[in-house]
Amino acid sequence: MTETLSLLELDLPRRNGELAFDAPWQSTVFALAAAVVEHAFGGDREPFRRQLIKAIAEQPDRPYWESWTIALEALADSMPEPPMT
Amino acid sequence: MSEGGHHPAPVSPVERRVAALEALLTERGLVPEGFIEEVTRRYESEIGPMNGAKVVARAWADPEYKQRLLADGTAAIAELGFGGAEGDHMVVVENTAAVHNVIVCTLCSCYPWPVLGLPPAWYKDPPYRARMVREPRTLLTEMGCRLPADVEIRVWDSSAEVRYLVLPERPPATGGLTEAELAGLVTRDSMIGVARL
Repeated sequence: MTETLSLLELDLPRRNGELAFDAPWQSTVFALAAAVVEHAFGGDREPFRRQLIKAIAEQPDRPYWESWTIALEALADSMPEPPMT
Repeated sequence: MSEGGHHPAPVSPVERRVAALEALLTERGLVPEGFIEEVTRRYESEIGPMNGAKVVARAWADPEYKQRLLADGTAAIAELGFGGAEGDHMVVVENTAAVHNVIVCTLCSCYPWPVLGLPPAWYKDPPYRARMVREPRTLLTEMGCRLPADVEIRVWDSSAEVRYLVLPERPPATGGLTEAELAGLVTRDSMIGVARL
């Protein structure tokens, strides 16, 4: 049974999705991490993930996106200065 | 969420830190113009549980696709056009009458983003991360997912290397539905494994 699908027009269950971000700074810091992973680490998420694990572990009750921010700060501190172009 | 009206809220310390990070990373050439807006837009409007729902519905409707999905989740999900960051090694685990699967990330918040979007708040909270491993049946019951005592619960701890997606059981009496209609039945929580359909 493979009806021709027009899945793109589907009214799919958005009730599942909670609002992704509660404040603009959260989406900003999320995207900044994505930018660093993509443009400084060639898509390797592991260095950021290690920082995030550390930030969460050192204060588990800290709001999630604040830990994310701290992790990204630590990662930025650890990065070599980019070559001048 | 409210937009805060016309009263500008005072800038919080974390907002200042994020602004400083943005300035620093932009200066280093790591943040192309429009990148933040594009990522935000995609995660808020294009990437979410509706993608996973399409994968599940296809698996229910097409036994051969289901076989491929269980054998190589990453490739089968990519057939529907989903993949990329945070989804490059996907493993799909199938619920049956005898086995119920649930996903967690005990260390941080690993999650199959391309098919489920961003994780819900509770997924990232310490109680869920700790208790789903320690006492999954109790926690599932508290979350409204009551399982018969003879159903085995398998807890999958996500990592940077492997992201899991639960393939829920197809609900009974759905034989006449189209794939599109089936997708409409699939909830985010059922694909995390904290709900059954």
